[in-house]
Amino acid sequence: MTATNWVTRVVSALLALALLLGSLLAVVEIVAAALDRDHVLVSYSEWNDWLRTHSWNDRIVSALLGGLVVLGLLLLLFALRRGKPASLALRSRTDGVDVTASRRSLQKSLAAAAARTTGVIGASASVGRRTARVEARTVSRSQPGIREEVESAVRGRLDSLGTKRRLRTRVAVTTKDTR
Amino acid sequence: MNRRANVLNRVVLTVLGLLLLTAGGLGLAVSVGAFGESRADNPVLPQEVSTFPDGRPWFWWAVAGALLLIAVLALRWLLTQLKTDRTTRLDLTTNARDGYTTLHTSALTNAVEDEALGITGVTNVSASVHERRGKRVFLRVSLAESADVDEVRTRLENEVVTHLREGVTDPRIPVTIELRPGASKAAQRSLT
Repeated sequence: MTATNWVTRVVSALLALALLLGSLLAVVEIVAAALDRDHVLVSYSEWNDWLRTHSWNDRIVSALLGGLVVLGLLLLLFALRRGKPASLALRSRTDGVDVTASRRSLQKSLAAAAARTTGVIGASASVGRRTARVEARTVSRSQPGIREEVESAVRGRLDSLGTKRRLRTRVAVTTKDTR
Repeated sequence: MNRRANVLNRVVLTVLGLLLLTAGGLGLAVSVGAFGESRADNPVLPQEVSTFPDGRPWFWWAVAGALLLIAVLALRWLLTQLKTDRTTRLDLTTNARDGYTTLHTSALTNAVEDEALGITGVTNVSASVHERRGKRVFLRVSLAESADVDEVRTRLENEVVTHLREGVTDPRIPVTIELRPGASKAAQRSLT
């Protein structure tokens, strides 16, 4: 499961819990009022008075409405954002068998492939839905063709996996200051 | 791993988000006088609305009923977060008159894991069976950095999946293989 799905699930669980407790509390208050008992937690008459004595253009009412808008936008953001995929589909060869590559391990693998290039002392990779970005670190400032070599190694690794969607590769070479 | 929960979460969050956005947006429009200055000066709860339940005893019971419905739906939504679509038994019964045959999925997944671990380059395997619009077998296969991915895939699909399908006597059972290239170095098997 992706990090995005985890966050969405936690938000959903909290919201479901809030709705559950809130509605049960309101039912308890209604039953208490019907039995002529005192309120349990929320005083209906206080809320009623507050809403009757405040107009729409009161600052506090506008602030609360603004809060609703922000909360609505946040919920929509959680609902609609896609985030990075947990895995990338590979080309299918057998009927009924879907093969994927986990994004995290693919990143590690691409970083390892880049790091094996001569002159590269370390590399990191980031894979999205369409692009694989690799940052390779070298010691020497001027090593002609190293970027192409890293790109070729990364491309080779991706080709060996056979991703269904051909990923674009972006390679950046940085020089580590050894002094 | 429960795709149904993810879809449900997105749908419910979208509906709630749109409701809050609409309510808040309309309220803000009223408060800035978009529907007339006089309306902006009105109390949030007009007299006729606040006195509406007076003399109508059914009103609060109707509200209580609606709230109970919301509580039940919220409880179901909450429980969905805890559910997993992983299953522990496979029904292999072909003819109920001859008796019932049930396969514990651990027997299947252990056999699949053992076989997959025998492939050169495979360092870790985790298999599970999920109930998602029918049964589906999931295989998570960690590969050594030096593994020949092409060779591993060929053997997984031609040998492991074939034997798995023979084991459950279902030549069409869908299988998802997640490869994890360069995920680990030491050979091990995880238990599910």
